[in-house]
Amino acid sequence: MSEAGVSKDVGVEDDAESEGQSFVGSGLERVEDHRILTGEAEYIHDIAPEGAVHMALARSVHPHAELVDVDTSAAEDHPDCLLTLTADDLKDDYEPMPCGLEGFEEWSLADDRVRFVGEPVVAVVASDRYAAEDLVDLVEIEYEQLDPVTDVQEATEGDTLVHEHAGTNVPDSETLEFGAVDDAFENADNVVETDCEWGRISGVPLETAGVVAQYDTDHDSFHIDSNIQLHTLVDDTVYEPLDYPPEKVNLEVPPDVGGSFGTKIAIHRYCTLSAIASQQLDGTPVKFVEDRVENLQGGDMHCSDREYTVRLAFDDDGTIQGLDTYFADDFGAFPHYPVNQVLKPLSAVTNAYDIDAVRYGYDLVLTNKTAQTAYRGFGVDPHLYALETAVDEAARELGIDPTDFRRVNLIQPDQMPYRLPTHNIYDSGDYPAALDRIEELVDEAEVCEGGLLDPDVVEAKREEGKYRGVSYSVHIEPGVSGSDWTDRQRTETDALEEREREDVDELPEHFRIQLEGDGTVRAFLATDTSGQGHQTLVSQLLADSLGVLPSDIEVDYLPSVEAPTEYGSAASRMAVMLSGATEGAAEKLRENCRQLAAEEVFGCGVEDVAYRDGAVERVDGSERVPLAELADLDAGRNQRLTRVSYDYDHPATKIDDFDEALTSKYPVYPTAAFAANAPIVEVDVTTGEVEILKFYTLRDCGTMLNPTIVEGQAHGGIAQGVGAALMEEFQYDGEGQPKAITLFDYLLPSTKNMPDIEMEHTETPSPFTETGAKGTGEGGMLDAPASVASAITAALEDFDVVADQIPMTPHRVRRRVRDAQADD
Amino acid sequence: MSSESSSQSLARPTEEVTVSVNGEDVTTTVEPRLKLSDFLRDECGKRGVRVGCEHGVCGACTVLVDGRSVKSCLTYAVQVDGSDVVTVEGLASDGDLHPIQDAFHREHALQCGFCTSGFVMATKELLERDPDPDREAIEDGLADNICRCTGYQNIYDAVETAAAELADAERTDGGVSGGADELLHAPSDDLEDRTDGTDGSGGDA
Ligand code: FES
Ligand code: FES
Repeated sequence: MSEAGVSKDVGVEDDAESEGQSFVGSGLERVEDHRILTGEAEYIHDIAPEGAVHMALARSVHPHAELVDVDTSAAEDHPDCLLTLTADDLKDDYEPMPCGLEGFEEWSLADDRVRFVGEPVVAVVASDRYAAEDLVDLVEIEYEQLDPVTDVQEATEGDTLVHEHAGTNVPDSETLEFGAVDDAFENADNVVETDCEWGRISGVPLETAGVVAQYDTDHDSFHIDSNIQLHTLVDDTVYEPLDYPPEKVNLEVPPDVGGSFGTKIAIHRYCTLSAIASQQLDGTPVKFVEDRVENLQGGDMHCSDREYTVRLAFDDDGTIQGLDTYFADDFGAFPHYPVNQVLKPLSAVTNAYDIDAVRYGYDLVLTNKTAQTAYRGFGVDPHLYALETAVDEAARELGIDPTDFRRVNLIQPDQMPYRLPTHNIYDSGDYPAALDRIEELVDEAEVCEGGLLDPDVVEAKREEGKYRGVSYSVHIEPGVSGSDWTDRQRTETDALEEREREDVDELPEHFRIQLEGDGTVRAFLATDTSGQGHQTLVSQLLADSLGVLPSDIEVDYLPSVEAPTEYGSAASRMAVMLSGATEGAAEKLRENCRQLAAEEVFGCGVEDVAYRDGAVERVDGSERVPLAELADLDAGRNQRLTRVSYDYDHPATKIDDFDEALTSKYPVYPTAAFAANAPIVEVDVTTGEVEILKFYTLRDCGTMLNPTIVEGQAHGGIAQGVGAALMEEFQYDGEGQPKAITLFDYLLPSTKNMPDIEMEHTETPSPFTETGAKGTGEGGMLDAPASVASAITAALEDFDVVADQIPMTPHRVRRRVRDAQADD
Repeated sequence: MSSESSSQSLARPTEEVTVSVNGEDVTTTVEPRLKLSDFLRDECGKRGVRVGCEHGVCGACTVLVDGRSVKSCLTYAVQVDGSDVVTVEGLASDGDLHPIQDAFHREHALQCGFCTSGFVMATKELLERDPDPDREAIEDGLADNICRCTGYQNIYDAVETAAAELADAERTDGGVSGGADELLHAPSDDLEDRTDGTDGSGGDA
C-alpha cells in the first residue's frame, strides 16, 4: 500500500485549533507540499525496484500501412537485449485491449496493420533505457503503405476504411431530440446556422505516463505501479488484455502524480506490455517511462477534435426557442474507452440559457491518428464554445448587444433547481446576478479613464491596428458524474426503455478510516490523485468531524484489488464525493468509538458515552479515553470497531427527479458550478496576434471547502483554456504525419502568455450535496475557450469576423481579417 | 522470443567525472551520452530533478551549475566534470524549507508539483540576479519553465513573497537559514554568456 509522508508543517492549523474554528472552509496549506518541495516526493518515474529492467517501444512511422515483415533478429543478437515482443508473441497467451465500442480488436502491439504514426509495433527490454533505445534502432519493420484517412471529410466521403471489418469509419452516431424542436425552428422569427471547429488538443501533463510491473511467479499474479488515472475503475483495461481475473492484477498508484487532467485514464497499453514483459522474464520487474515525443505523437492521449454545425432559433426580442447541434468528432484510429465524452455535453446542453427544445446529434469518426482519451471537461468545452459562437452570431444577426441577448435568455434564479430538456438538473445559482456583477466589475475598473477599455485608449489603439474587445458570458460546469450512463454506447438503446430504476449501477464512493495505536487516523481513498490536494481536503474534513488535527491524519490510496470498482477522481467529483464519504465514515467511527468505550472501559450503556473533541468520555465528563487508547483496546477484538469502511451514495441517486436520466443513461451531473467571465483581448489585425490583457472571472462552486485549492483549480483551468483558445493543437499534415511531436510544436501557455486573472467568488451552496460543495475541478478549461473566442469576435466586430475556429492562431486571425477586407 | 543474450554488455565507452552535487563530491564513470538529468537522478539519487520533456522546453529538470540555471536534460554529465551542481535537495537545511520553498508552499504555487523543483531553482537564479524583480522581470525570469497546473498566478506571488522574505532577512541579520546568505551573495557572472540552450529562446535541441 502506498504511503504518503505528510508534513507536519501546517500553517493555519494552530490558529484554527486555538480558536475552535473548523478547518473546512479555511485555506489550510497543503499537506502534500513539503515532500514535493524538498524533492522527496515519489512519482512513478522515481520508483525503481532492485534489478528493474527497462522497456522501450519501436513505433510506426506511417499513419496507415500493412506490416509486411517485423524483424527483431538484429535487436535480439545485441548482447544487451533481454526480450523482444511483437503482436505474434502476444496472441497465444493474451487478449486484445478493450475498446470503448464493441467490435474492435486492438492489440497492445500492432497486429498486421498500423493505423497511426506512433503506434507501438515492437517492445524491447534491456538493462537500462539507453540500451533499450539502441535496440529499438535495430528493429527492422517493412511496411506497405496504404492511403491514410486524415480528416472527417475523407473518413465519411472517401473509400478508405480505417478498420475494414467495421465497414464504416463512423462506428457510432446518434441524434437525440428533446422537446418540440421542429416547431421551434418553424415558428421562431429567425434562425442562424454557425459552423465552427475545435482543434485537437489535450491535457499534456508535465509528467508522462510510467509503469513498473512485476509478475509474481509464486502466486501467478501481477503487481503494477503506474500513474494510471482511475485505477479502481479502469483496471479491466489491464487485467482483460493480460487474460487474468481482477484479483490477480493489482494496480497501485503513487501518492504523487504529476498531473493527468483525464489523459492518464487510457495508459493501459503500457501497463499491459510491461506486465507481459515481466512475466516473460520470469518476474524481473520491468519499467517503462513514456518519453515526451511518444506521449505527444502516439500516447493514446489526444482529445476532442470536432467540427460543429449549430442552429439557433430565436425571436426578434432575442428569446431563444430552439437549439440544434451537430458535430463530428475525429476520434483517431480506435474508439477508445472515453467514447462517452461525446455525450457529456447533454448535461449542460443549453449552458446557462433557458431553452426547451434541443436536438443533439453527433458522428464519432475514425481516422489514422492517435486515439483519444479524456481531458478536463470531457467534451463539454467544445460544446460551450460552439453554442456561444452561435449566440454571438445570433446577436449580430439581430443587431443587438450580445450581452443583452445573453441576459434575455439566462435561466432565472426562481427556476432553480432547473431541469434541462436533456433531464439533468442544475441545482442552484443566480446567473443574471453573476452576469451583472462581472459587467459591473469591468465597467468600474476598465471602462474608464486609465482602464484597458477607456474609450479614448480603445480608439487610439485602433489607429494602430489593435482592436480591443470584451465579452461577458455565464457558463455552467456540470459536476460529479456518477452511475452507469457512461456505457450507453455499448448498450442496446431500445432496451433502455425497459430499464428500471433498480437496474442502475450507482457506483458509490468507497472510503476507509482506521485508528492507529499512536493516535494517527489513517484514511484510504479508493481512487488516485494528481495534484488536486485530496490529502489536504480529507485531512480538513476528518479533522473537523473527528475533532483531531490535520497533522494527525495520514491519507493513503487503496490498491485496485482491495477497492471496489468505483468511479474515482474525474468529472469534478471529489469535493462532493469525498466530503460525503468522509462525513459518513467519520460518523460511523464516532459511533463505534462510543460503543467500544462503553463495552471495554466504562461498562455502561452507549447512550452514556459521548464523542467529544477527539476522544470519548462519559456524558458527565467524569472519564475520558483518547483515540490512541481505543485503537489498542480494539486490537484484540474479532470485529474491529476502530476500522470502518463507508460507501457514500452518489447524490443524484437519492433524488427522485434524477431517476429518468439515470434509467435512460443520460449523463447525470447533479451540481452546477458556474462562472461569469469577461476576458479583455487585444487583436493586432496586422500580425494576427491575440493578447489577453486581463481575464475577469466571477466563480461560484457552492460552499468552498478549501478556498485556496478552489482558486488554484480555477487558475490552472483558465490557463489550459487560454492554451486551447490561442495556441495548442495537434495538427496533422495531409499525409497523416503529426506536426506537433515536441513541446516546440505543441505550445503550452507559459508566463509569457498568461494574462493576469482578476477573480471573485460567490458561494451558492448546492442543495443536493452533504456540505453544499459543488464540483469544480474542470471549470476554467470548460469556460475560458468559449469566453476568449467570444471576446475575439467582439474585438473584430467591425470586420464582421467570427472566431469560428480555435485555437485562434495569428495565421487564422490574419486570414479571416484579410478575407473580410477583400469582401468589402 | 527471448533472445540468447550473454550477460556481458558490449563495452560501451565511458569517462570518469567528478562533480560536486549539493556540496558532496561524486566521482564515477559514466557514458558520455548520459544526460546530466539521468546522472543526477539515477547515479546520485537526486530524484527531485524532474524530467518532463527531455528536449529543453519544460524546465522541470532545471538545476544550478556553478550558480547558473541549466536544463539538465540538455546537458551531458561529462560536461559538468569539475563543476558545482545544486539541485532542489540542496536547498532546505536542517529540515527547514528554504525561503523560496516556503513561499511556494504558503502561496499555493504548486499543485501536482512536477514542475516545482525546476521553478524553485529558476527562482533561485532569478533572485540572485535581481533580488527585487517586478512582475515583468518575474515573467521573463521564469519564461523557460512550464507549469500545467497553476496558471502561474500563485507562482508570481511566491516569487514576490520569497524576494521580500530574503530582503528582510538580509536587512535584519545579513542572512537566514536555508542558504539565503549564500544566495544573496552569489557570484554575479555574466549571465548573457550562455552556451547551454537556456538563454530564453526555449532551448536549441
Ligand atoms: S526535461 Fe523539459 S527542459 Fe529538461
Ligand atoms: S504544479 Fe503541476 S505542472 Fe506545475
